[in-house]
Amino acid sequence: MIAVWDRVTYTYPGSNAPALEEIACAVHHGELLLLVGPSGGGKSTFLRTLNGLVPQFHGGILQGRIRVCGLDPVRTPTRTMATRVGMVFQEPEAQAIADTVEEEIAFGLELHAVPSAEILRRVATAVETLGIAHLRQRRLSTLSGGERQRVALAAVLALEPQVLALDEPTSQLDPEGAEHFVDAVLDLHRRLGLTVFIAEHRRDRIQPIASRVLLIDRGRMQAYAPRDAGRLPGAPAVPRLGLRLGLEPPPLTLEEARAAVVGRRIAVHPPAAAPAPGAELVRAEALSVTYGAVEALAGVSVSLAEGELVALLGKNGAGKTTLLRTIVGLTKPAAGAVRFRGQPAPPDVRERSAFAALLPQNPAYVLSRRTLAEEIRASLEARAMRAGDARAIAARWRLAELLDRHPYDLSVGQQQRAALAVMLAHEPPVWLLDEPTRGADHETKEWLAGILREHAARGGAALVATHDVEFAARWATRAIVLEAGRVTFDGPAREAFGAAGPYPTTVARVVPGALLPEEVVAA
Amino acid sequence: MTAAAWLAWAVMVMAVALTVTNPFYLAVVVLSVVLVAVLAPKDTAGSAGLRVMAFFGASVLLFAGLVAVINGSYGEHELFRVPSLRVPEWLGGLRLGGPVTAEQLVNAAIRGLAIFAIVLAFATVNATLTPQRLLRATPAALFHAALVATIGLSLLPATIEDFRRIREAQALRGAPTGFRQIPGLAVPIVLGGLERSLRLAEAMEARGFAPPPPAPAWARAAALLSAPLGLAGGLGWLYLGDLRWVGALLGALAVSLFFAWLIAASRRYGGARLRREPVSTGERAAIVLAALVAAAAIFGRAPGWLELGYSPFAELAWPPFRPLEACFALTVAWPVLFLALRPRPVGQPVAVAGAVEVGRP
Repeated sequence: MIAVWDRVTYTYPGSNAPALEEIACAVHHGELLLLVGPSGGGKSTFLRTLNGLVPQFHGGILQGRIRVCGLDPVRTPTRTMATRVGMVFQEPEAQAIADTVEEEIAFGLELHAVPSAEILRRVATAVETLGIAHLRQRRLSTLSGGERQRVALAAVLALEPQVLALDEPTSQLDPEGAEHFVDAVLDLHRRLGLTVFIAEHRRDRIQPIASRVLLIDRGRMQAYAPRDAGRLPGAPAVPRLGLRLGLEPPPLTLEEARAAVVGRRIAVHPPAAAPAPGAELVRAEALSVTYGAVEALAGVSVSLAEGELVALLGKNGAGKTTLLRTIVGLTKPAAGAVRFRGQPAPPDVRERSAFAALLPQNPAYVLSRRTLAEEIRASLEARAMRAGDARAIAARWRLAELLDRHPYDLSVGQQQRAALAVMLAHEPPVWLLDEPTRGADHETKEWLAGILREHAARGGAALVATHDVEFAARWATRAIVLEAGRVTFDGPAREAFGAAGPYPTTVARVVPGALLPEEVVAA
Repeated sequence: MTAAAWLAWAVMVMAVALTVTNPFYLAVVVLSVVLVAVLAPKDTAGSAGLRVMAFFGASVLLFAGLVAVINGSYGEHELFRVPSLRVPEWLGGLRLGGPVTAEQLVNAAIRGLAIFAIVLAFATVNATLTPQRLLRATPAALFHAALVATIGLSLLPATIEDFRRIREAQALRGAPTGFRQIPGLAVPIVLGGLERSLRLAEAMEARGFAPPPPAPAWARAAALLSAPLGLAGGLGWLYLGDLRWVGALLGALAVSLFFAWLIAASRRYGGARLRREPVSTGERAAIVLAALVAAAAIFGRAPGWLELGYSPFAELAWPPFRPLEACFALTVAWPVLFLALRPRPVGQPVAVAGAVEVGRP
């Protein structure tokens, strides 16, 4: 046994409800554990009991016994635990200390007074193992998010830990970066036999390999075999498809699913086609934007009409954020024009956002008042609207019980809803959302998909930049793909997410013609 | 050049520029500093700062002249008059404005040049060394303190970025501009900064960052004693007149106690580093030279030997120019030797092609 929890209950300081309750779990050497559950459910807290950050860094009361690598992480100095348990956090920016890749990896070794020659050897091994040897001399600030997370992994690997604790390490990455990172982790697990705990929303690649899936919800833990975990909320598309078709045993990988459906009679019930779009609301004509020598947008033309929900897809740096910013007037285009309802858009950001409101990526930037009620009232005042409607608006965004809370005390999902309420309180006809599901759990995504469909039904329109294909396939009527500042696809969503499209969903790759597991039934 | 050599140079420039008041020698110092500043390899992030600092130094020069014009009058060679204003007796009775003398302007120009040289020297060091390189050069005993300072510095750009994004978010919300916007900006910046610091602290602790083990008791006592002793030594040097040597002795004692602590504590902390920048023999010699020149500039002046001073108020005469002092001032340019002789960086991956941060508007 490399890690054992014996009836562990933990409460954060100043909180009256326990964050972890009666956790009992025993983990063998070399296991790969996938942690799932809603955000705020206790995954991060559980991971932090591995290296003693809970309770040593966070304080609070911990009852029960824990043993990790033969040590008691509650009493062993975190400095010692750091050489047994390597931890990678969500944000690449919030865990880097040094300037260059090499220095960053050496940092932990320097803290542990490892001799210089040994430091050099271990740095070399770490970059070699993670395939980032070519980045060794680079500055961290010039790396992509995915590369930075691999550097963070190399940095903890250099301490030669026996256990890796990864706390949603890919939630801030684009799909490509996330895939590379997950591959690196799986590779480490396989080659070095490391015990891995990984909390992750992108489960499709990990679940097939995981030894167990641990569901942590409201502080309680439940263990599942990977094949049974298809029933859990937010399960990957493949096991859900398996469940719908009654495949036995339920498939875990794309290959298993493909093999299992061969020769079966499958009916596809696509959802009713969206009503034809109405009058045009936004038209961007030949927008060009350059940042220094980088051409962010090169003559991009897009339109958005009443009732349209458009998914804006593309790799990091393809120009998605720039397009949204240019439409709302935060970025001035070098060429091109933006029209609202056929008229030239007003020059001022405040006037433009009254018609087409933009939700920026980080909700925390939006929130600044003492309570949520004040926050919503301030938004309404800014748009010269009646303040009495705050309660109704809160109810619409499922925030009614949270009106008196401080915005910074809310959970990530609640903050995201609060930011939406604050930015969209004036009910603009056009919504521009920049990666609204970054780090969001399954339930939040479900809810947001519903809200978007309601908005379209009332004649509104939305342009949503996202990396999350499975999420977009739930609501999008149209998809636009940007590549290096140019539009390379602009067409119906079913085409974009279909088997032959640029961004096929998992189900489309198994059952052509269908996009989501819910559209498929055994005939 | 290593961080240690750069720091030695900057301190030397400061000592020389503050003690040399002969405008000819000072001009030599300023030109030497400019030469070094031009030749110094600039870190990409800091090079904009050099231009700003040069501008800042030039404005200091102008400002010194302006203050001299406004501020009281001494000297005999009146050039012109500006409207005069006498501050009431109970506020000190200073006279502002009035006659402006040539002596005053010369004196202001000399002070301004000295400050210009110092500002430019530090700007050059700042543009050349990243905080991280400085951190690598710190003795192990100071490593933790220096690390915290470095991280503090590295959070600053993130805070500026926060400020920009929050202002944008406020505009997107339709919030009016002006004073009423300030709470809306301050709260997220402060809270965001705190949260970022906490997350970083957590990540550092997860990698084994912990308070260093305490140095031996005698060493801590030595460090504690060195501060009051140093203060007493300085005061003694300034005020004891004939008994100056007592002050000097106390000062020397304070310095040795401090170094005793530094060495003992560094040994205790182990101070493992990825790699230390090796200080070459040439650079060691240059550092010693810098220390000697600085000491000579402060303590070694004597009539007929090292006459660096010049006062326009004593007599508004053409300042003397002698080769010995000119050469002394020229020693400030020593980094040029290293900068000119340094091997061309071949394949140095510092400025990586295509290292453009994409995806960030």
